[in-house]
Amino acid sequence: MLEISRKASAAYWMAALAALAGAVAMLIYYTPVEETMGPIQKVFYLHLPAAINTLLAGAAVFAGSVGYLWRRDLRWDDLAAAAADAAVILGLVVLLTGMVWAHSAWGVWWTWSPRLTFTFMLWLLYVVYVLIRPSIESADRRALVSAVYGIVAFLDVPLVYLSAYLMPQDIHPTSINMVGSMKLTLAAWFVPVGLISAGLVVARYRARRRARTQETVGCRRPACA
Amino acid sequence: MTTVLRQVALLTMKDLRIEARGRQTISLVAVLGTLIIAVLGLGLGPEGRVGGAGATAILWVAYLFGGVLSFEKTMAVEREEAAMAALLLAPVDRGVIYLGKLIGNLALMLALAAVITPVAVLLFGFDLSAAPLAFAAVMVISMIGFAAVGTLFAAAVASTRLQGGLLALLVFPVSLPLVVASTQVLVSVFRDGEPLGGLGLAVLVAFDAVFLVTSWLVFECILEP
Repeated sequence: MLEISRKASAAYWMAALAALAGAVAMLIYYTPVEETMGPIQKVFYLHLPAAINTLLAGAAVFAGSVGYLWRRDLRWDDLAAAAADAAVILGLVVLLTGMVWAHSAWGVWWTWSPRLTFTFMLWLLYVVYVLIRPSIESADRRALVSAVYGIVAFLDVPLVYLSAYLMPQDIHPTSINMVGSMKLTLAAWFVPVGLISAGLVVARYRARRRARTQETVGCRRPACA
Repeated sequence: MTTVLRQVALLTMKDLRIEARGRQTISLVAVLGTLIIAVLGLGLGPEGRVGGAGATAILWVAYLFGGVLSFEKTMAVEREEAAMAALLLAPVDRGVIYLGKLIGNLALMLALAAVITPVAVLLFGFDLSAAPLAFAAVMVISMIGFAAVGTLFAAAVASTRLQGGLLALLVFPVSLPLVVASTQVLVSVFRDGEPLGGLGLAVLVAFDAVFLVTSWLVFECILEP
């Protein structure tokens, strides 16, 4: 059984990497260089899919949190925690690609423009989720506090979004004039980013499940939070 | 309906009576808030370069830290001599307990604001005379949302024994929309002379509504003796 799942997961990651290689090839050879931005514009193909997957990961945290409060089953808590890990990593990718873009386009690494503010606040929400977990000892209490926080954090996202739009001076492009090949590449990038995000959630989930089983068997590892 | 109101009033009065007899929380919180104002004042220098938006930022820092401390304190009261177990045995809905705690916390926060705001006005020379009512309204609406989230999380971490920094860590990122929206609303009122309203106020009211309802629903699951 374990052998099969190991093979399946290896095949999955191979497929994800192949999709990533294909997407990178498309980015290099297929899409034209954008006129005003130059080659830096190409981080956009990673930026947008990562941003959307961050939100999806936040939704998964929410689903896991509601599931835990409803069923009181630690598997839901593991799912929420795994999704939060993915949200933090994806959010970091969004922030870093965004900063590279900002530096190239506007000459500064950071401005408090609405979208940057929104991404930053969103990322902080899930960083806190991941950070507080190890500081609560009891597994049930940790799951409970995390679940309440996961629900509140996700409901907070639209409010964070709206409030960020009150910040003055938006220099972030809301839409880019894209030719057909750019749109196709963007669509293609959703595949590897989506596969890697989902794979990340599953991998983190399984690691947490394993740690939990070892915990009950008696092998105490501090890393199971 | 009247019984519910009576129950809420009873629970609130109980908390306020404890506070009135000991005056532990309010004196602590007021001194902490004043200290924060003093630190910011010393850090920003004697020239008083702080403008309208800076005023709300300074007040928010004091309100946030003071608020978290008072949420902690009002919940800690219940852990003395197993008061929480008695409270849970009382034939009242858990939502009523939440409302009672929330109103008690709000009263504390308003008392805190009543102390800190004049101190800040005095030390920094803020000019609130253009629209004092708008300022008060924005702050009260923001505090309802802040206290709604704070009361929920204070109850969630109450039995974890390591509240201190943890509660602040949970409450601050979630409350960021309040800080952003209230600051922008007050900037538009004081600097641009616009009447109170718009998207900013809508975000504040939506924050209150979303988290009052969510906390009422979730509170059921998190109380433990």
